[in-house]
Amino acid sequence: MSDPTGDRMIRVDMTQQTATIEPFPEEWKFLGGRGLSARILLDECDAACDPLGPDNLLVMAPGVLSGTSAPTSGRISIGGKSPLTGGIKEANAGGNPGQDLMRLGYRVVVVTGQPADPDRRYALDIDADSATVVPADEHKGKWNYGLIEDLAKSYSETASFISIGPAGEMRLAGASVACTDQEKERNPARHAGRGGLGAVMGSKGLKYVSVDAGKRPARKPANKKEFGALCKKYTKYYLDGPAKEPFPKWGTSVGCVEADALYTFPYKNRVEGRSPDVHTLDGMRIVESFDERGGGMHNCMTGCIVKCSNIVHDKDGNYKTSALEFETLTLLGSTCGIASWEDVADLDRLCDEIGLDTIETGAAIAVYMDSGAMEFGDADGAKRILREIAEGTELGRSIGNGAAAIGRKRKHHRVPVVKGQALPAWDPRPLKASGITYCTSAMGADHTAGLIVEPGQPQEEMAEASQQAQIVNAVVDSSGFCSFMMINLDEVRGFYGEYFGEAMTRERIADMGWQILQDEWAFNRRAGFDASDDVMPDCLKQDPIGPAKWVWDVPDDVVASAYERFENNDALFELRS
Amino acid sequence: MPEVHIPPRYRGPTNGERLVEVTGGTVRECIDAVDARYPGFGELVFDADGKIRLFATLFVNGDELDRGAGDTKVAGNDRIEILAAVAGG
Ligand code: SF4
Repeated sequence: MSDPTGDRMIRVDMTQQTATIEPFPEEWKFLGGRGLSARILLDECDAACDPLGPDNLLVMAPGVLSGTSAPTSGRISIGGKSPLTGGIKEANAGGNPGQDLMRLGYRVVVVTGQPADPDRRYALDIDADSATVVPADEHKGKWNYGLIEDLAKSYSETASFISIGPAGEMRLAGASVACTDQEKERNPARHAGRGGLGAVMGSKGLKYVSVDAGKRPARKPANKKEFGALCKKYTKYYLDGPAKEPFPKWGTSVGCVEADALYTFPYKNRVEGRSPDVHTLDGMRIVESFDERGGGMHNCMTGCIVKCSNIVHDKDGNYKTSALEFETLTLLGSTCGIASWEDVADLDRLCDEIGLDTIETGAAIAVYMDSGAMEFGDADGAKRILREIAEGTELGRSIGNGAAAIGRKRKHHRVPVVKGQALPAWDPRPLKASGITYCTSAMGADHTAGLIVEPGQPQEEMAEASQQAQIVNAVVDSSGFCSFMMINLDEVRGFYGEYFGEAMTRERIADMGWQILQDEWAFNRRAGFDASDDVMPDCLKQDPIGPAKWVWDVPDDVVASAYERFENNDALFELRS
Repeated sequence: MPEVHIPPRYRGPTNGERLVEVTGGTVRECIDAVDARYPGFGELVFDADGKIRLFATLFVNGDELDRGAGDTKVAGNDRIEILAAVAGG
């Protein structure tokens, strides 16, 4: 049965280079983003397939509330079988394509197949009436910013874009998918970074997607008045609440100092939990540059009230990059022993240009340095490596394929990955419940799957804390809300209730989150994963950090208990993303 | 004695301790007293200039303090609470 709202979906066959528009199934009404991607992958994708072959799917799914006037709710999930982990993957991004697809009533784009000629490039053009695959060979090999600059000349000024850089075209396992932000320049600065989904897009010969929503208004909720009142109430709550200062004023990058004091600002491939360079990497230095150079804080997508994204200018006052985040400063800065935020800004721009996950790439360079091939702190060397990735040299390809790939090549022992994916900044040695998330999430080591910053937490509370965070993040990543809205399950169900005109119980929203995790775990089991994949690397068990000499020492049975559902309690519904 | 409530994310230095009773006439003295018992705690709350850190919000008996108000007087059973904002991506 199709959705009575008239919602639609787009199916793209890249073998035939055709696209069809179909009604969106009614039974998927409450599914969006990560949850919708998981359901489609479980139902339609052979989990044993080659992630870079024709049978893998690339799913582009905006959140359930994307395109509505709910504040900060327009994110999009990119999903597929990951060439990095071999399991299911979802990475989400801000920018405007999610909002635009939903304003047009397209709940999801599912791409399958592969062109017979791997040298061909195509684009998918989407507007209110059509979805069309068109040749795009002239854009082959372009870096993201140059590509968008060229596209801006021929597309309407209301179009937004999803694209890949050379890393995706080369099918490197660290490749990201870029989304353009809401600035008039449409910078390709918002990346679905993790898991190499840019390589999946590249394997389908798809260089970019354009989405032109024209002047389409926001989506209409069933209970217009109540939904509007909820938007107002929640906006006021956020802007007057305790979160009002850090994110809107300074962004995530000023978290470096606090993370350092918590021993979770890993240094030199994680042999230390603190960095002597924290004050030259601290995002406050970026904030201080705004007065003299310009740049500042902005929202990456229309309708975001948080505005945590910084725009960074160079010494001459010209745009350099956006957004320079805490994770990037940690992975491309501290873990590589690179001391200057300005160098990290250069590296961030290069990653966005080439289309690379800054976390995976930073971790890979740190492993390379740690193996003795390059000095820690060699910022020019790191920039050279990124250019080599774009050129496709042997070294560039190894690093572009991620930390595990370069670790294998260098036969290095210290490779901090789980399920083949590099650890983010948040270190599981002091933050053990987050470590349980890294081990049990189908996504591999991914803080967005369920971060718990509670050092010193009793062991008996860890698995439940991880599971609750995983449920909340699964729901939020399906809703379209950005996790920096710090929204909880009660609030999400309130918005769903007024949007669909159907009251939603606590049990139902919690079950939705749990079902998403179940779908993802089921996919991974079909792909061949078992408990032996839920392990931390030896280096984290052996290299202690911090005054308490933290190592990863959580017993396997405690980790495994995160798979058994705990009872719902108030803490689950109050936990913020 | 004033009590300092430790937020979950700052319980690393306190080895998981959630509530610490201290002697001190100001908020800063109380935080310093916690730091003396649990080294590393104080730097999570105050920066090098003695201001309350960006990611920490302090309350005395429910009233929010300005960043420069570390020397606010406390007495008796005053309750010092710390709210630690989350930094993500
Ligand atoms: S909160 Fe930040 S990352 Fe999230 S949508 Fe807004 S600007 Fe983008």
